Amino acid sequence: MTNKKLECLVRWTLGGVFVYASIHKILDPSEFAKIIYGYQLVPGYVINLSAIILPFVELFTGLFLLLGIYPRSSAILANVMLGIFMVAISINLIRGHEFDCGCFSVNKNGHTASNIELLIRDAIWFVFGLLPILFRTERLFVIRS
Amino acid sequence: MPLLARTLREISQILVLAILFALGVNAMSPRGIALMGQWDVSEGLVRAGAKNEVMTHDREITRVQDAYALFQTGSVLFVDARDETLYSEGHIKGAESLPVYDYDAHFENFIARHPRMDQTLITYCSGRECEDSHTLATYLTDDGYTKVVIFIDGYPAWQKEGFPVEYGH
Repeated sequence: MTNKKLECLVRWTLGGVFVYASIHKILDPSEFAKIIYGYQLVPGYVINLSAIILPFVELFTGLFLLLGIYPRSSAILANVMLGIFMVAISINLIRGHEFDCGCFSVNKNGHTASNIELLIRDAIWFVFGLLPILFRTERLFVIRS
Repeated sequence: MPLLARTLREISQILVLAILFALGVNAMSPRGIALMGQWDVSEGLVRAGAKNEVMTHDREITRVQDAYALFQTGSVLFVDARDETLYSEGHIKGAESLPVYDYDAHFENFIARHPRMDQTLITYCSGRECEDSHTLATYLTDDGYTKVVIFIDGYPAWQKEGFPVEYGH
């Protein structure tokens, strides 16, 4: 793993994805809290705090990857989050739990990505995330490695 | 510094920064939510709970039988907050469709047919995991209706009880 340009490209892509994914959650924490509730995996008292904090962990992880601040640690954090998301999605897949609140006020056409689609997407990003983690030589465009 | 310790220190810094920003932004944002939500369906509508919540529990009908008793008086109007497809697939008998996601487009027609602002309106949607009935009640109140209440168990519970329903538009 020594291709500097590839490492940089992958890191920026992953960073961009995390920043992008965080924005709508930050803009609508109430809706994100409902999505967390829908997974039926965490106790009620944790839901709101997760909905408030998790998007900012995503945002800063993404920004740090883009800016090249602690790139390896940021990539590890990104993959830890992706790992948690994949476990959560898998549990719901196994138990056949599909959450649909029946509300269309935000998502008007009612279409959301299926669990399988989400799982595959996260798995791809997870593989991407391994590159900045395993990269051993000097990196391009880093503020603080 | 050993790699593991350094990694843990850096991750801790990212997490602390994110938590501080998250709590700060949530405290200042008008879209911010309460630190603890209401996520127990037996207690009522599940929701994160906005800091500036308008609707209160005293405007909720929490028992299906109470909603049916009001239905039997014939003096209340049920208003369906769900989208038109769900409405046409089945709704409370006599209910008006006023989809919350397309409120502005439908409201003019609604108020033309129901100009009495002291008419008792009962909003509903798909149950305690759906906030649309509360949102619709807020809109209707803001637009001048003075007696708006929310049937929080919504259409699924009504249908399950075998109370009168109808289909189509």
